[in-house]
Parts: sequence; structure tokens; C-alpha cells
Amino acid sequence: MIRTALKTVFAHKLRLALTALSVMIGVAFIAGTFIFTDTIDQTFNDLFDDLFEGQDVIVQGETEFDVGFSGPPPMDADVLDAVLAVPGVEAAEGSVGGMAIIYDLEGEAIVPTGPPTIGGSMTEDLRLAGNVDLRDGRTPEGSSEVAIDARTAEDNNIAVGDVVKVQTPTEVAEYEVTAIIGFGESDNLAGATFAGFELATAQRLFELEGQYSSIVVIGEEGTNPDLLRSSIATVLPEGVEAVTAADESAAQSEALSESLGFLQTALLVFALVAVFVASFIIQNTFRIIVRQRQKELALMRAVGATGGQVVWMVVIEAIVVGLVASVLGIAFGFVIAQGLTSVMAAIGFDLPSTTAPLATRTIIVGVAVGLGVTVAAAVLPAVRASRIPPVAALQDVDVRLRMSDRRRTIIGSVVLVAGVALILNGLFGDILDLGPLNELTAIGVGALMVFLAVSMLSSLIVKPFARFLGWPLPSVDNLTGTLAVENSVRKPRRTATTASALMIGLALVAFFFILGDSIKASAGAAIEEGLRADYVVSVTGFSGGFSPALGEELAASDEFDAVTSLRFGFWDRDGSDEFLMGIDTETVDRTIFLGVTQGSVAALGEGGVMVHEDTMSDAGWVLGDTVPMGFATSGLQQVPIVGEYTENGIVSANFLVGLDFYEENFEGFGTDVDFVLAAKAADGVALEDSRAAIEAAAVDYPNVEVRDQAEYRQSQEDQVNQLLVMFNALLILAVIIAVFGIANTLALSIFERTREIGLLRAVGMSRRQTKRMIRWEAIIVAIIGAALGIVVGLFFGIVVTAAMGAQGIDVLSIPSVQIFGLIIFGAVAGLLAAMLPARRAAKLNILEAIAYE
Amino acid sequence: MTSTQAPLTGAIAARIDNGAKIYGEGDTEVRALDGVSAQFESGRFTAIMGPSGSGKSTLLHCVAGLDVLSNGKVFIGDIELGSLNDKDLTLLRREKVGFVFQAFNLIPTLTARENVLLPLLIAGDDHDEQWFEQVVGILGIDDRLSHRPSELSGGQQQRVAAARALVSRPAIVFADEPSGNLDSKSAAELLDFMRRAVKEFGQTIVMVTHDPVAASYADRVVFLEDGKIVDELLDPTPDSVLDRMRQFGA
Repeated sequence: MIRTALKTVFAHKLRLALTALSVMIGVAFIAGTFIFTDTIDQTFNDLFDDLFEGQDVIVQGETEFDVGFSGPPPMDADVLDAVLAVPGVEAAEGSVGGMAIIYDLEGEAIVPTGPPTIGGSMTEDLRLAGNVDLRDGRTPEGSSEVAIDARTAEDNNIAVGDVVKVQTPTEVAEYEVTAIIGFGESDNLAGATFAGFELATAQRLFELEGQYSSIVVIGEEGTNPDLLRSSIATVLPEGVEAVTAADESAAQSEALSESLGFLQTALLVFALVAVFVASFIIQNTFRIIVRQRQKELALMRAVGATGGQVVWMVVIEAIVVGLVASVLGIAFGFVIAQGLTSVMAAIGFDLPSTTAPLATRTIIVGVAVGLGVTVAAAVLPAVRASRIPPVAALQDVDVRLRMSDRRRTIIGSVVLVAGVALILNGLFGDILDLGPLNELTAIGVGALMVFLAVSMLSSLIVKPFARFLGWPLPSVDNLTGTLAVENSVRKPRRTATTASALMIGLALVAFFFILGDSIKASAGAAIEEGLRADYVVSVTGFSGGFSPALGEELAASDEFDAVTSLRFGFWDRDGSDEFLMGIDTETVDRTIFLGVTQGSVAALGEGGVMVHEDTMSDAGWVLGDTVPMGFATSGLQQVPIVGEYTENGIVSANFLVGLDFYEENFEGFGTDVDFVLAAKAADGVALEDSRAAIEAAAVDYPNVEVRDQAEYRQSQEDQVNQLLVMFNALLILAVIIAVFGIANTLALSIFERTREIGLLRAVGMSRRQTKRMIRWEAIIVAIIGAALGIVVGLFFGIVVTAAMGAQGIDVLSIPSVQIFGLIIFGAVAGLLAAMLPARRAAKLNILEAIAYE
Repeated sequence: MTSTQAPLTGAIAARIDNGAKIYGEGDTEVRALDGVSAQFESGRFTAIMGPSGSGKSTLLHCVAGLDVLSNGKVFIGDIELGSLNDKDLTLLRREKVGFVFQAFNLIPTLTARENVLLPLLIAGDDHDEQWFEQVVGILGIDDRLSHRPSELSGGQQQRVAAARALVSRPAIVFADEPSGNLDSKSAAELLDFMRRAVKEFGQTIVMVTHDPVAASYADRVVFLEDGKIVDELLDPTPDSVLDRMRQFGA
């Protein structure tokens, strides 16, 4: 039995290759995602291992709430004395860190996209410096010397003795470079720029005078780090903890990996979409194969094979295809991983690239998915194959093995309704308690069900739909057009499944188009209605923030009436990360329209929190209630609600606090800098004068971008467009698989119609006409897929947009040109898919074709 | 020979000169046609007979431009097929040749009417409605024109195929066992029509068959054995053909 099955597989190498290809691409996407994220993990692991090299114990502030990217709160400097007094401590030094942007010799800020710009104190005792080593020069001393990392120095031709500007939360000042440092083998910290200062200078620049971010300890020769940690812990005051360097290294590396976990999840979702699309192709292929081998399988039955053996024959073929595809897919995953790195780089994330490890998990998941999906998709056709009666071997009958249309309608409708219900329930509320299923999973499962249902139901509308689409064809291309339309509706289920594979990818593209356009429209409306300021100053790239000195300078100038600074912060809301904006309550009325409905901005200046109306009503809060807010620095605070507002389009947060409150509760990396400034020109100041003034002030801050309202709006649109490009790039694979599917189905159909094509050729159809006939058919199938995709995408886009009002997306906008473009895209995809099958059909040997049984 | 509308008496619709078709090489060499020369006169109905493997189908395929000779020449009218590329060969088949095969003659997705008009539709040419109606009328398929092949009987399907072969007024019609799959009544109807097409419209038909009764409808029977023409018979009857056939096995 196995041998027979294997013979069949290898007798049809092309079929095997085309089917395997679709699975392979899906598996490659999954494997590529794992390899890609593993590479990142590996990089960070190595990085932190190196950073803590030679250190034994780290003393740092303790935090109840580990939210966002906030580091531990600082501690008083006198903790160091206590630590030094502990027996067994060989050396210990305090250090501080914060944001520091180095400028190149031309005065341009050096801001890598992705990795942070880090500043910190340099230890005097080099044994405490981890793997930091001086490549050139000497450790900086005093208030105007700096050490910079070797990569930054090399890339920007900075050498020891040069004078560079460095921006810190306190100021932009000039420093003499006294040292170029490396980190073991590496020239920098995973892409981050680093500026090192003498401790006292660093404490001043990061506003941590008399404080340390952490204390690094090394024990005497032969000291056990764990024991040393325990003895240090006994002398520490409340709120300060001691951890071994090894634990801290692992914790930090894990925290970074976790923060990139969303990336892995997102990529895997796209990979699963690709696999899902592939499953359509596999199912279709096996269904066609079973149909074509009907006589052969019936003969097997006639000579004594059981139904179960026939199932096995088909399943064995699926196993071979699945295995081959999985193995190739995993290998191809390395290419995908490289591609992902390039995509990330293209949208601005410079990720360090080291060797890509192949984890056992990658192999297991890759093979499990590839094999599982292939076999699962082949089971139904296999079971149908076993129902072929032996008599089919003797008679020329077309055995009907399909589900009846009525059953199909009923099942399809039920699945459709259930899928839509799951999506709506996930988006809008808690009509049903889904238990362990969370909302996103519910929406995902619902979407899969909608796709399946549409695929099932669409076979019922394929006929009229294809005839409608093909209606103008005969006038364009008389006979080939007619034949193409008729061929496309011959096997409605086959056409429906093939088209559905394309539908999935294009539905998601349409969905992202609609969501993206709605976000753009909503942002545009929010800017129009909510932005009273003339200018918005924000950071470029991902550098986190900029010195508040800029805002102070602008506020002091005559050209500006009001300058509002906004600061971004994470806090813990019932165990999950939430974020807020700290705003300047004195000026915000003049720069940003908040639509305060209860309480007042003035009250917010006294403390408390202002909450967006939707969040209020969702949580069932009323004015005067207290919100338990967990902060990394100040711990759990009971914060009274002092106001409610409706417009979150500009502040893009659902919780607002005053700047005083912000400063009391946030400290550390990225929180002592401004995130955004909204500046309103003074009355009577000409536009060009205010522009000139703000540009002049910003000259010292090359990492900020000054935009007027129109430019700000454009920048918001650009961001959305960038995301759209990325999502669509990730969906391309799903679309490519669908194109292969169309090609495969066409090739198999052409094989079935060999005699027919032979006859057409015999009575005078030219090769060119034959090709045209196949192409038209592919285009019709592809356009059906695109049209179905648009319908499903419209549904997804409309309901998701409707559900995102609370996120500030309150305008539904459907980009009709792009949506219509998908039809044309579909037609082109069909044309591409038809390329090889058309050529094959045109090259059919007429004699063999008409003699073909 | 009496034909009411025959073109120039004695004109040659197609001919093959010293045609050879060789498959394989060396020990495995098979000569399907081995130096065949024959002429098919306009306005005549010629049957090609021979036992299985005699090369009769190969002869038909080569003369019809479906297959290419290894040696020798084939002419349809004055056109030598060996000089034509695939495109010209396709055009020649479309314009000058009609076909009726044993089975699978019709495109299942097209109606009977469309199948009849297939060569003209492929060419994008207008058809002569009067001639079309005359042909389908004689064949008795005028009331089945809007049906798909799957809705027609085997005999009706072959008559549609015959109508298709005639509707473009080709120089020559090739038929490969046209009645092979039909019951005797349907076969007689089809063959009778083919004979009428020759007598009344001056159509030239070349038919391959192994059935002496079918061959007896022709004006002339050419006998083929081992790739060579071994005999021919004019104005055959089923008995005279059968007699000649009996000599093959002997």
C-alpha cells in the first residue's frame, strides 16, 4: 500500500512540487519568524552577559510595579557606604544613567532608529565596568569631558581630542572626547549610542544629585555571589534591593525579549494567515487529484483494497508532501528571517544581526504545522476517495462525492453567523462570556470562520458571479472569452476554493486599507478640531524624548503665547501596562482642545487624574472616585478623578495628569524629557516670524522635528502609511501562495481538459488563443477572489473601526481608489498565475491530446 | 462518378507523396507509414481501411496536418504542409480542414450551435446563416441547437460534430472512426449524411474506419497494411470490403 502511494507521489513530481510550494512558503514564514526573533534574543542575551561580566552583585531601587521601560527608582548615595562596609566586598561604585544624545562634528544629532541613546557614569575602577574597555584615551574627568562608544566614533569620524555636543535632560553642552570605549568584542551596545561621564557630572546631567541608579559590587577573590548578595541585602534600607549580577543580566535580557514578544506574535499571526491560505490550496489539490484518480482508486477497490486503505493511500501522499514542504520550508526560513530583518530596517528598526540559530522548537513547530496542515487538509478528500464505488472503475461515470448544495448552504451559513458573532462579541462587548478565550483570540477565530464560511458559500454564487464578470468578455474576445467564463464555472467549488485563497490575503489588505484610512481621517479631524497650537514639536525616530530646556526657551520667547509640554509614562492598571500623558495644565487650554465635560484642567494642576469619557463609562467611574495607579518610582497611589474629557486625538492617551504629579511619580530613563511640545504663537506675530523663532530654538535639538498643523497632519499620515506598507509586505506571502494556488488549480484543470484543448487546437484554435483562454479564466477566478476579499475586508474594516472609537478612531473612511485597485491587482495576480499553465496548454501536443484517455 | 456540384472533376484536394512516419531508432524502430503515396480527389468520399496497427490513423493525422511526416510530402490543395510553421498549420486546419473524431468531438461548455460554429468562432468570422440552417436541417439537429453536449445522445453529438466539419465549407473533411461509438441505426444516419454531403454539396471526405459497412458508404476504399497501401476498391459494398479484409489475416 505504502509503496503504491509513494509511486504515485513520485510519478507526479510537478504536482508534488506545486502543492508542496504553498505549504513550504507558510512553514518558511513560521520558521523565519522564529529564527528572526531567536536571533534578536540571542543578541540581547550575549549583550547583557557581556555587560555584567566580572560583576557579582547589583544594588538597585526596588519597584512594586515594573511597567513600560521604566528602570528601578534611584536610591540615596549613602547606601554605597553601607555596602562598602559589608565584609567580603572588594570594590563597589554607584552609577547613574539617562538619555544622552551625541551630536556629530557638524552638529547633527546621532539618533539610531530603534536602539536607544544612552548616557551614564563611568566607573573609576575598571574592574567594575563589566566588559567596557578603553580603546583609546582616558576616563573622562570633570564637567566637560565625555567618553563615547567606538561605533559612534568610527561612523562619525570622532576621535579623542574632538569636541562634541551632547544633549541630556538638563542641557545641550560641549564636551571634549577623552575616550573611545568598546564593549568586549562589540563596538556598541546592540546599536545604542553611549556617552559616558564622570559620576558627579552624570548625576548633575540626569538630575540625580546625591543619588545612584545602581551600585555595582565585586566581591573578594573566591566569594560566592549569592552569599555576598545575602549579606549586602541585610544592610540595605527599605526600597533598595540586592541581586546577583547573573540574575540581573537574565532579568534584563528577558525583559527586552518580552518587549519584543509582540513582534513575534504579530509575525506569527501573519505566518498563520499564510498557512491558512496554503491549507485551501492543499485541500483543492487533493480534491482534484482524487477526482482525477477516481478510476484508479475504484480499480484498487475492485481488486480488494478496503476503503481505509484508499484513505491511507491519499494520506500517505499528503504526509510525503507535508514532510518535504516542512523541511524545505524550515531551510527557506533563513531567507525569510533575512527578509524580515530587511523589512524592519526599511521601516526604521536597525536590528543587530548575528548568526541565526536554528532552535529545536523551530524545527518541531515547522514540521508539526507543515505536516499537520497538509494531512488535515487532505483528510476530507481522502475520506471522499474511499467512498468511490468499485463500479466506477468499469463505468465512465462522474461519481458525485460532494456535499449537497443545501447542506453546504446550511453549514456555511451557520459558520458565517457564528464567526460574525464571535467577531462582534470580541469587538463590542461581553454578551457572551468566552471564558479562557480572550477578545483577540475570539476575533481571530471569528475571522477564520468567516473566511471558511465565505469560501463554502461562495461556490453557490460563483456561477452567476463569473458570468457577470465575464459578461463583457465575449465582445472583447469572442470565443476564448466565452470558453474562459464557462470553464471558470464548470467546477464551482474548485473555483470558489481557489478564489477564496486569494480572498483571504486581499481581505486583510482591504481591511488594513480601511483601518489605516480611518485612522488617518480620524487623526486629521482630531488635528483640525483639537489642535489650537500652531506648531507641534516632537522627536524624530525612536529617541524617546528631548530636553525640557527647549520648551522653557520657547515659553520665554516673545513670539509664543503658550507652550505645552507633554510627557509620556507607563503605569500599572490592575496588573497590565497603561499609559498616561503628563501635561502642562497652565497652557493646555490655549494649545489643545480637550473637551472637558466634568471638572477642570485647573483642578488637574492641583493633582489627580483626568480620564477620557469612554474609559470612565467602561470602568463605571464617576468624578471623585479614586483610581489605583501603580508607578515604578512611587509605588501604588490612590489618585482622585478630577475631570473628564472627550478629545483624545492629540494627547493620544486616556489618562492625563499634571506635570507636578508626573514629576512626583516618574523618574528615570525617558521620563525626565519632553515627548511632545505644542506651541501657540503670540497674537500679532507673523507666521514666518514664529516659524523662524521656533526653528532657531530647535537648532540645538537636531533630534526634534518642528511641524505646523498641515505638516503634523502629514506626519501622522506618513506613520500610518508606513505601517500599511509593512502589513501589506507581510501579507504578500499569503497572496503569493494564493497565486501559486491559482496556477496549480489551473494546471490540474488543464490536465483534465487535455482532450478538449486538443480538439480546439485541431479545429483551428491557435496557441495564442489557447493562452488567452487560460489567462481569461485565471483573471476571472482571481477577480472573484479579489471581490470576495473586498467584501469581507469591508466588513472587517467597518466593524473594527466602529469598535475603536475609544482609541480615538471615530471617522470611518473607505479609500475607494485603493480598494478598487485590489481588483486590478487581482487581475494582474491572475495573469501571473496563468503564465505557466497557459504556456503548457498551448504546447499540448494535439495528437496526444486527442488520443488521451 | 456522378456528382451534382463537384468542383473541377479530377482536382486533387489532398495528396501524400512517398510519406513515411518512423518512431524510435535502431532496434526499436517502428515504421507506422512506410512510403505511402495517395491522392484524395475533390468531391469524393474515400475510406481508409486496414487492420489495427496498419498506420491508417497515422496516415489521416499526417494528411490532416495534425502530425508531421518523417519523410515525404503532404499537400492540401497546392500547399505543402512541411513548409508551414505551427501558426500557419493552425490557420490551414481552421480554414481548409474539417474534423470528425470517434469520441470527444464537442466542447462540453458550449451549446450545440456554438460547437457547430466553433471553427468560425475561433476565426472570428461571420457565418452563412442559410448554409448553417441547411446543414443542421439535413442533420436533424436544428431543434437541439441550444443544448449542451451532455444533453445530446451519442448520435446527435456525432451529427453536431459532422455539422461543425461542414459549416466552414472546408476543402477536405477528415473523419476518424466517426461511427465507432454509435449504435447501427445512428451510425447509418451519420454515414448516410456524410455520403449526401459528398453527392449533393461536393464535399471531399476522407474517413478512417475498420467497419466494412461504414466503408461501403464511400466511393473508394484504400487498404493499408504495415504502413503501406496494399490495395484499393472502387464503389465498395460491405461484402466486397469484407472479402478484401479477410485476406489480411490469411
